[in-house]
Amino acid sequence: MVELIVFALMAAASLAGGVTVIRARNPVYSAMGLLATLFSMAVLYVLQLAHFVAAVQVIVYAGAVMTLFLFVIMLIGVDKDENTAETIPHQRRLAMAIGLIAIGLGTALVARGRFSWVPLVDTPASAAETNGTVQALAEPMFTDWVLAFEATALLLTVAAAGAIALASTRKPIISRVPSSPAVSPSRRAERGVGGSGQEGRGGHPVLPPAAGDTRAGS
Amino acid sequence: MGFEIDYLAIAPELILVATIVMVLVLDFVLPRRAKYFTAIASVLGVTFAALPLLILAVDGGSREMFDGSYTVDTFALVLKGLFIVAGYLVLLMSVSYIEGDRYYQGEYYFLILCSILGSLVMASSRDLIVLFIGLELTTAPLFMLAGWRKGDMKSNEASLKYYILGVLSTALMLFGMSLVFGLTGEVSFDGIREGIGDAAAGDASTALGLAVLLIIVGFGFKVSAVPFHFWAPDTYEGAPTPVTAYLSVNSKAAGFVGMLILMYLALPGASNYWAPALWIMAAASMTIGNLAALRQQNIVRLLAYSSIAQAGFMLVPFAAAAVSGTDLSEAFSATVVYLVIYSIMNLGAFAVVIAGARKTGTGDIDGWAGLGSYDARLGVLAAVFFFSLAGIPPLAGWFAKFVMFRSVMIAGGVSTVALAVIAAVNSVIAFYYYARVVKSIWLDGAPATALGDRADTPAGSLRLALIIAGVLTVLVGIYPTLASVFGDASRVLAAG
Repeated sequence: MVELIVFALMAAASLAGGVTVIRARNPVYSAMGLLATLFSMAVLYVLQLAHFVAAVQVIVYAGAVMTLFLFVIMLIGVDKDENTAETIPHQRRLAMAIGLIAIGLGTALVARGRFSWVPLVDTPASAAETNGTVQALAEPMFTDWVLAFEATALLLTVAAAGAIALASTRKPIISRVPSSPAVSPSRRAERGVGGSGQEGRGGHPVLPPAAGDTRAGS
Repeated sequence: MGFEIDYLAIAPELILVATIVMVLVLDFVLPRRAKYFTAIASVLGVTFAALPLLILAVDGGSREMFDGSYTVDTFALVLKGLFIVAGYLVLLMSVSYIEGDRYYQGEYYFLILCSILGSLVMASSRDLIVLFIGLELTTAPLFMLAGWRKGDMKSNEASLKYYILGVLSTALMLFGMSLVFGLTGEVSFDGIREGIGDAAAGDASTALGLAVLLIIVGFGFKVSAVPFHFWAPDTYEGAPTPVTAYLSVNSKAAGFVGMLILMYLALPGASNYWAPALWIMAAASMTIGNLAALRQQNIVRLLAYSSIAQAGFMLVPFAAAAVSGTDLSEAFSATVVYLVIYSIMNLGAFAVVIAGARKTGTGDIDGWAGLGSYDARLGVLAAVFFFSLAGIPPLAGWFAKFVMFRSVMIAGGVSTVALAVIAAVNSVIAFYYYARVVKSIWLDGAPATALGDRADTPAGSLRLALIIAGVLTVLVGIYPTLASVFGDASRVLAAG
């Protein structure tokens, strides 16, 4: 009974959050609405005894992703007027049609009898029997799959380090002169690294391999 | 559940990880003018990582970890050796290139080392999860490395094309793998092999076919086989040349290894799906790659199409054996031998391109006219690598072609012979454009504006890369048994 009440409350809260995301005029309110949805989803996960998923939901979505959203909103500027003109032709009618199709499919699913409500989970005999608990996940992850786990960690480091290297502009990039017959290769080479002051240690001019490109078939 | 880590078996990986951390820290603490120490650290780290490989190879035997999901046997050792040597050569090529243009050095070496580590992990992987993560660790750094010349629009294009198509193909491959997992309930190759029979017999056979084809699409992208090759020429051209060399060798070899162990160890029961697909991919890659290469004026684009064609040649033994239903172990060893030889000679060709582009100031084949007359050593090396790629006898390339055709002949059968004929015709076509480069270097007269007087010898590290690749190419060509050792080692996998 308690579960039913909690479910109803949280389901309503998540729906209300969803409506807020769409209806709010202020983008910060929209973000807050999304936060409400994400949190109530986390509670629903706990209700299903998926504690790990619930924790991830709070940490990753409600924590990290929401912070990112807010950053972007603040960077763009809350007070700026947004262009809300609809550019896709028949946007509303299309959305309406897709919604109707989805409702029709859902009704057909229920009517054909292929769909049944999953009963609420009873209190489990012991936590070990459940599948989504933190312990049940942690044990294989840090024993059998520790190698894959650590490799994934490295993969994330790769993404972070690479993104910083690609995005940061520590120094102006030497602009390359496009290949043109007027500029002789040696001139280009001199301009390429001229004045970099590194001629002593392998400061060889590197020419774009693109010179004289002909593209076949593309 | 025996949870024990065999530290000797994963010593190469651990040494690489230590190097990676060290490079990151060095990059952080060093002043900008001393950044080249990160290059020295990476080269040394990769060298040290090769030592445990030798110990393990002498020790012999197979070591399993994590319930067999990570296996270090002779086959894995051979491939790890290949990845480390190829990575070592690429690092040597990178040193002067990256430093000369003052790119972000520390991050560059960090990403290259991570990619090498990924390919090492993949060579040992014996289940879908480790395989996938190893493959991603190999490719993900390359998305960023392809765009390393940030100021250059072509480099941006290279990175973006590679990234978008790469992510798409990864998603498709992952979908295929999840279908395989769903059908068999297993992620380990052994488990899948045993479970696949039921899936193939039951009414899930359509799903199995779909899964296998999706996986092939993913790997086809990684090895840039036709029709999944569209990213290759633009990416190869735009990326920094050492990265291109890495893409065409390590990344391609990693894709091949992943595809072959997955097909061979996990999915032999579904060969009726992947054998025709590989046959078509092999024939199309050889033909389209070679025909497109004929028209190229830019040497990097030429090598891009040549590497597509070479991927076709590498697919031939496996496709032939699978289509005719003969034992796959012979084809397996032929592919590995081809892969090893191709890696060395292609890296040599790219080292020549880096040195030659510096010398002549252009990437245009016609612009290289007469290079041999004012830099004879580079001209000779260029001839060695390009003739080897074409498969001219005293050089390593002929043995690669030889084992390929031999394995096809062992397989026999009509469709197999058809594939062999296509391969033979393509070998002749390929000779034309490889020889054109050599002709331009040696037979055409140097232009009046030739830069023969420029005292611009390649940097020491690049010279070392050229020497290593050149010596190996000639040596393997004269003593092919050196390379067939690799093939024999890969038969271990067949026996185990």
